[in-house]
Amino acid sequence: MSETVLTLENIKKRFGDTDVLKGISLSAAKGDVVSILGSSGSGKSTLLRCINFLEMPDEGTVSLEGEQIICEGKATEHSKHNKHAINNMRAQLGMVFQGFNLWSHMTVLENVMEGPIHVLKKSKEDVKQQALVYLNKVGLANKAGQYPAQLSGGQKQRVAIARALAMEPKVLLFDEPTSALDPELVTEVLQVMQSLAAEGRTMLVVTHEMHFARTVSNRVIFLHDGLIEEEASPDDFFENPKSLRVKDFISHKK
Amino acid sequence: MSWHVIWDNAAWLLEGFWVTIQLTASAVSIGLFIALILSLLTLSTHRFYRWPAEAITFFFRGTPLLVQLFLVYHGSGQFRHELDAIGLWSYFREAYFCAVFVLALNTAAYSSEIFTGAIRSVDKNQIEAGRAVGMTSFILYRRIILPQALRIAWTGYSNEIIFIMQATSLVSIITVLDLTGVAGRIISKTFAIYEVYIAIALLYLVITYTMVFIFSRIEKRLNRHKA
Repeated sequence: MSETVLTLENIKKRFGDTDVLKGISLSAAKGDVVSILGSSGSGKSTLLRCINFLEMPDEGTVSLEGEQIICEGKATEHSKHNKHAINNMRAQLGMVFQGFNLWSHMTVLENVMEGPIHVLKKSKEDVKQQALVYLNKVGLANKAGQYPAQLSGGQKQRVAIARALAMEPKVLLFDEPTSALDPELVTEVLQVMQSLAAEGRTMLVVTHEMHFARTVSNRVIFLHDGLIEEEASPDDFFENPKSLRVKDFISHKK
Repeated sequence: MSWHVIWDNAAWLLEGFWVTIQLTASAVSIGLFIALILSLLTLSTHRFYRWPAEAITFFFRGTPLLVQLFLVYHGSGQFRHELDAIGLWSYFREAYFCAVFVLALNTAAYSSEIFTGAIRSVDKNQIEAGRAVGMTSFILYRRIILPQALRIAWTGYSNEIIFIMQATSLVSIITVLDLTGVAGRIISKTFAIYEVYIAIALLYLVITYTMVFIFSRIEKRLNRHKA
């Protein structure tokens, strides 16, 4: 068993009167690729967004390699110490959004260089070298000087992945990375993600891509109604699901 | 028509021309600084920070510029002792200072409305992406929010700059010798009303369209990221 990188304990989150997450605990070891599945409204995106505090969990703890943040809703970020700790943790968690969220006023290269320069305070020259390496990895070094508006959806998402990689994060979080893409552009993004998994990167992926969950990830988590309904290896999950809901979910996806 | 009046007084008109340019430049740069502070205060979640910003905006947008100039220039004498006590009277007795003071605050009030709207309309997803890489609020503002807000605000803000440049002509009424002020003096000596006013109108046109030209070049540059 390799070392644990990320641990969530009893994460709870409510929006108004709705309990979206009702106490979720999970951990990811180095190199784990965890697919988070569930029907819409199950809280899977909220869970991912709670990990890097884009939503402040009402309760629970998030630990990343020994650093721990105890959550108490909005008050979590009121203390200076926690504010700093949250930014510090975010810098180590690469996030890839469904809608790409590239900075539209910056070129592709500037998008990738931004975090390392202005958050990690690295020198511009080193960062540029590295940024080009990552752009090359996603196959877009030739687009370095272009603006996001000039790219296709698949290309934008690959830039967003390079942007996340440039921070050299300990864990990559993917929030339905292919859901906003035209079908013919999905493959190019999945291929990049597959190569990252093969490099041994730790990834948490909220997705609807069953093929990806089955062939690339080594663990599948199924969320239902704010709780983990089932957690299993991809083979067990797809071949011998224990829960009725998972059976139902799989049969609909086939 | 006696156009020679213009040539005879060209040097004087040019002086007025420079005063107009300087007034505009000072009012706009000081106003920009104040406007940014007002916007940030307006956007603050604390009522305590919001109300002074809202009060300034309320007053300067709700009253005519000319009345504001009169109030400050003629009205500051009422508070001579108080102003003396804090060492400001030597400033407020100067018409030029009063002019810059009022113009800056007036343009700040209008500009801050433009900036506030622009900052509010920056794409939330791009802000979220900034948060997700661990940017502090300060870096987020400096690198993501303000650069994008500038692009959104630019058209409205450049109109405001042109407006305030033309509005500087009002300061001639509180004895500042800007382009319009100089024109009045020349007319009172020569009675060449049409010639002088036509000349300064043309000069204002030159300033306005030079600004329009520069601003549209800047706008092109700001928008080069759009496909």
